[in-house]
Amino acid sequence: MSAAASAPTGGEVLLRAERLERRFGGLTAISDFSFELREGEILGLIGPNGAGKSTTFNLISGFIRPSSGRLVVMGRDVTGASAMTISRLGLVRTFQHNSLLSEMSVIDNILIGTYHHRSGHERRMEKVREVAGMTGLTDHLKAIAGNLPHGLQRMLSIAIALAAEPRILCLDEPLTGLQGAEVGAALDLFEALRTTHGLTILLVEHNMRAVMRACDRVIVLNYGRLLAEGSPEAVSRDEAVIEAYLGRGR
Amino acid sequence: MLNRSSGVWICVALAIGAVLFALLATNPYYTSLVVWILTNAVLASALRFVLQIGELNIATAAFFGIGAYTAAITAVLFGWPFWLTLVLAPLVAATLSALFGWVTLRAKGPYFLLISFAVTEVIRLIYTQTNAIGGNSGLVGMFPPMAIDAYYPALAVALLAATLFALYGVERSDLGRMFMAIKNNDAIPRSVGLNVVFLKVLCVVIAAAAVGLAGGLHAYANNVIAPADFTYFVAILALAYVKIGGEGHPFGPVLGAAVLTLVGQWVAGISAWENIFYGAVIVATVLAFPGGLVGLATRARSLVIRSGQ
Repeated sequence: MSAAASAPTGGEVLLRAERLERRFGGLTAISDFSFELREGEILGLIGPNGAGKSTTFNLISGFIRPSSGRLVVMGRDVTGASAMTISRLGLVRTFQHNSLLSEMSVIDNILIGTYHHRSGHERRMEKVREVAGMTGLTDHLKAIAGNLPHGLQRMLSIAIALAAEPRILCLDEPLTGLQGAEVGAALDLFEALRTTHGLTILLVEHNMRAVMRACDRVIVLNYGRLLAEGSPEAVSRDEAVIEAYLGRGR
Repeated sequence: MLNRSSGVWICVALAIGAVLFALLATNPYYTSLVVWILTNAVLASALRFVLQIGELNIATAAFFGIGAYTAAITAVLFGWPFWLTLVLAPLVAATLSALFGWVTLRAKGPYFLLISFAVTEVIRLIYTQTNAIGGNSGLVGMFPPMAIDAYYPALAVALLAATLFALYGVERSDLGRMFMAIKNNDAIPRSVGLNVVFLKVLCVVIAAAAVGLAGGLHAYANNVIAPADFTYFVAILALAYVKIGGEGHPFGPVLGAAVLTLVGQWVAGISAWENIFYGAVIVATVLAFPGGLVGLATRARSLVIRSGQ
């Protein structure tokens, strides 16, 4: 079944990966991987450790180039394009590790996100305040990013991406290490970004309960290949997915 | 408590003082010493400027030399007017540094350092092998026009001080913030659409323009230049000024240049021991007070404030 058929609503396709492949020397990290991301959806990308989720993120954001296959963002072929080009088209990613400018203030971190737009200082500061408000950082603007508590650091990495005014937000394990209430607040933020800001979100996450709650649709990677895709419920009942996570029983 | 704007005003006052001193002092030894201190301050500040993106650019010495040779060649060999040669010095240095940066800044850290070292030595060897520009003995006879000859030290000090303020201005601007972000974690600026390679090249170009002008001014101040004046060691000394003055603060390299240039007047008398002295001072500084003189002053001030409470 094609990705399009299982998409919830017929939104415009903002990101299309066609038969992506990436080899590192003799190791094939990703192969024959195709998927679509449609406007307005929250798509979950899951899979066991080493399945190729981070490689996928690096490929679609232009941080590494595919060995073969094709990548289309906002209707433009960006196969082999730089991170700068893809980001300026409106696809902005966050990072799982080293996700912020640890030696700089929260304001400076968010300001960096605003610089590829032509704008005056006042407009930029307005954007900083807006984004800080959405991510709960208003009271910490002057703090050095590396000194923030872990939960706020995760929020700051999202704030930097939001300041760049993306249409597609790719979040790499944004919930790792968050406490119970923080997870709920983050999921509420994702939902608000979708409904009130019209963002489309690709979410890589290990927290299955959160993925089930937040995502409209889930794709599962295993050994660099597409294993399953569909609604969260369907995927969580899929025999192949259960086997990939838990191993073959009996 | 000293805030940022009062710090800037103190520096403006210091700069005006230095210009007046260069204008009024009658002993040429002292006026040329002030020019030399400011020249070293620009070299050190330019080296620190590129440290903002996390790279140690030994070719700072090469662009200083290119500025000096540009002014000297256009003045002595072509007979072009003084002001034109002074405009060309930073321009040629900046243009060549753009080429240099575009090719080399894909490498980082020790790799970039080694390339910048090699480039510096290659350019010096080109000077020594080119008879048209004097080979090993260099060029002689760069003089400011008669009309301003008496004021030349003051002019040089004013232009060098203006260069220092310009570097500081860029550091405080949005551009400076982007440089800092590149050093801190260059994946972040890349992820939000900034052209990191272009920004790194721009940083090197701005610093090269600064030392290019300093090189041109040095050629006229010294009246004679030779390839041996522009070895990698110029950048090593600049690094010593940065480390001893304090890398964390824009005034650090200026202070370091002033202190070490003055001390250097004394250690020059101990010939072979001179370099050993500089080496020992760098090691001692890095071990004993890594923040340099400025860092030491800041620490002393916070101690005073704490004990006052």
